[in-house]
Amino acid sequence: MHSSIASDDSLPTLKVLLIGPSGAGKSALLMRYCDDEYDPGSSAATIGIDFKIKKLAVRGEAYRLTLFDTAGQERFRTLSTSFYRGSHGVLLVYDISSRASFLTMERWFEEAETNTVDGVPLYLVGAKSDKAENNREVSPEEGRALADAHGARFCEASAKTRENVRRPFVDIVDQIVRSPDLLAAAKSGRALGTVAVSSNSAAGGYFASCLC
Amino acid sequence: MAESLSDTLWDVVICGTGLPQSLLALSLSRSDKKILHIDPNEYYGGAEAAFSLQEAGTWVNRLSLPTEAGSTRGVFRAASITKPPTASTSLSFPRAYSLALAPQFIHARSELLSQLVSSRAYRQVEFLAVGSFFIIKPASAPTSAKPTIVRIPSTREDVFSTTAISAKAKRVLMKFLKFVVAYDSDPQTELWQQHADTPLADFLHEHFKMDAELQTYITTLTLSLDGRISTKDGLAVIHRHLSSMGVFGLGFAAIYPKWGGLSEIAQVSCRAGAVGGAIYMLGTGIKNTTTTDGEIRLELTSGDSVKTRMLVRGDETVGGEVGISRLVAVIDSTLKTLFEVVVEGAPAPGVAVIALPAGAVTTAGGKVSDSPVYVLAHSSDTGECPVNQSVLYLTTLSTTDSKDVLQAALGSFLTAVSEDRVPDVLYELYYEQDLGSVESQTEDMIFHFPGPSLSLSFDDRTLGPVREAWEKISGGEAVEPDYMIFTDREGALDDDDVYD
Ligand SMILES: Nc1nc2c(ncn2[C@@H]2O[C@H](COP(=O)(O)OP(=O)(O)O)[C@@H](O)[C@H]2O)c(=O)[nH]1
Ligand SMILES: [Mg+2]
Repeated sequence: MHSSIASDDSLPTLKVLLIGPSGAGKSALLMRYCDDEYDPGSSAATIGIDFKIKKLAVRGEAYRLTLFDTAGQERFRTLSTSFYRGSHGVLLVYDISSRASFLTMERWFEEAETNTVDGVPLYLVGAKSDKAENNREVSPEEGRALADAHGARFCEASAKTRENVRRPFVDIVDQIVRSPDLLAAAKSGRALGTVAVSSNSAAGGYFASCLC
Repeated sequence: MAESLSDTLWDVVICGTGLPQSLLALSLSRSDKKILHIDPNEYYGGAEAAFSLQEAGTWVNRLSLPTEAGSTRGVFRAASITKPPTASTSLSFPRAYSLALAPQFIHARSELLSQLVSSRAYRQVEFLAVGSFFIIKPASAPTSAKPTIVRIPSTREDVFSTTAISAKAKRVLMKFLKFVVAYDSDPQTELWQQHADTPLADFLHEHFKMDAELQTYITTLTLSLDGRISTKDGLAVIHRHLSSMGVFGLGFAAIYPKWGGLSEIAQVSCRAGAVGGAIYMLGTGIKNTTTTDGEIRLELTSGDSVKTRMLVRGDETVGGEVGISRLVAVIDSTLKTLFEVVVEGAPAPGVAVIALPAGAVTTAGGKVSDSPVYVLAHSSDTGECPVNQSVLYLTTLSTTDSKDVLQAALGSFLTAVSEDRVPDVLYELYYEQDLGSVESQTEDMIFHFPGPSLSLSFDDRTLGPVREAWEKISGGEAVEPDYMIFTDREGALDDDDVYD
């Protein structure tokens, strides 16, 4: 596991976040996209997932996509500013069968906008589109209008039926790699001038060589 | 949906998201303990928080009001903000700033860094090098009309090449540095042990015949707040400094987390806690605690009532011994000369340390400083201010005059570093910080962390109580060698997806 990650360290890494209210379907979307898994019984907060990695190629170039889940910190709206740090794109997810979830999205847009740098693409996802027929509480037009108001793209998707599951991810990556600034940041890897602390040189220290 | 707060019997409720509480959450993030982590503040980081200008304003206002139920005043007081009217147009938008309340840099040999690496938390933090240490010498009539700034040579190459000190002084300095290499083994130990508890400066004078200036160089490297650090402590600190040199790269001994220092480490640690299943609530304090057979019932300010086997919280004592006074200033200069790379191949430092030794500062009212003033200068690389500006963090021991002393020190500093013009101050935040209690305390099932260390560099003693709390919570399950040692969480890499 480690070696496969290490060997991809040279690929440009894109950090994409999934945010939105609890129960919107963020984790299900992530699991479906990354592992093609869907567990209808899983309703508890997804424990143990920090981020998922997916390698993908867009326009002939490979990228290492790291997808960050909220780790339950959306429940009481306690996502930290450091969570947003260095993100290249944000997926904002609500549940089309819950008006209440849609009504929180204005605040989620606000949070995403204040905590990301200019030019980071936002993408609004209406999740659980399989429920459209019987339980829809938010029309696609409303979703699109909200997205438009924030300069974001929009689609509806279902982790259950796989409908449109890849679309938001592929679209947002496409948007990211078309922005020269964001792409440059992703390609430079560790930010310029920062220090690597993982490779502690045992031989270090002022006294490594003799003082005479 | 998610479990209700009051139906769960929590293994531990952690109150506060300062560094110790957050590291505790990290240490428990792979246990299957049920953890509720709350903070009366609306922000992460407690005493180690970093603020945008807007948040700083809110914080200052809050401090001036009587404390509400469920929150304590904490270690800070007497906060005020000053914005010189002429300069305020040059300030950027509030979120362009991230001002650290209690900035500390971290020596490469610090146990904190080992724990961040072994726990994998370091992956979400970016670190910058802490560069040179400087001293400001006051103006002295015949030779210099304004205060001057001198770099302290702190690598071997530096000592050889510096033009700031005489050949004789270089020999003395080299002799001392050689001594520190193995200060803790014979025959060196014998030399200093009988002076262990007397001031380091006296020892330097007696045994190395250092003049006042060289003594000041050495005591500055210790960052001693009263300038009177003991021989024993002083040698230990200098040894740590020198043995940290070069560990993570050429030419620097310490590093600083980008975007506001320890606040980032606290946030990343809390995220690790959340990934491990802990529930997070901000803006939620404890109104009331009642202990009944093996359980603590907590009434939260959110209106929830929860029960837990253990409660871990911060220091609740207020006042105590003399604390420190702090002045944070945003200035409209990059201070380029302070952040120069002095060793070829070294990374560009984001932090410089400048000392105004005791006696170097005279206030407008004629009062002479009787302890050192330290300035941590942070470049915009730290992410704490926009490009073309810098943030200065000034610290000195509190006295009745310390606000004036810090103002005067800021003035001397700006004059000393000015080239074609004296930089403008765009924003000032002044406050005082209490020492709080020094030891952790346990009563029944409640554990209190000590107050935050006043030190300018991270004090590894902060880590002891975190481990103590971890042991208490882990009980019999605690396996010492596993403490803070985790594997990466990332799932295996999937097959490639190709889209064109
Ligand atoms: N019908 C349907 N249910 C879904 C879908 N995605 C998620 N769910 C259910 O919605 C609930 C919340 O999903 P989850 O992914 O945990 O939401 P999160 O809190 O945003 O991560 C779970 O019970 C899921 O099984 C979907 O596409 N269709
Ligand atoms: Mg989830």
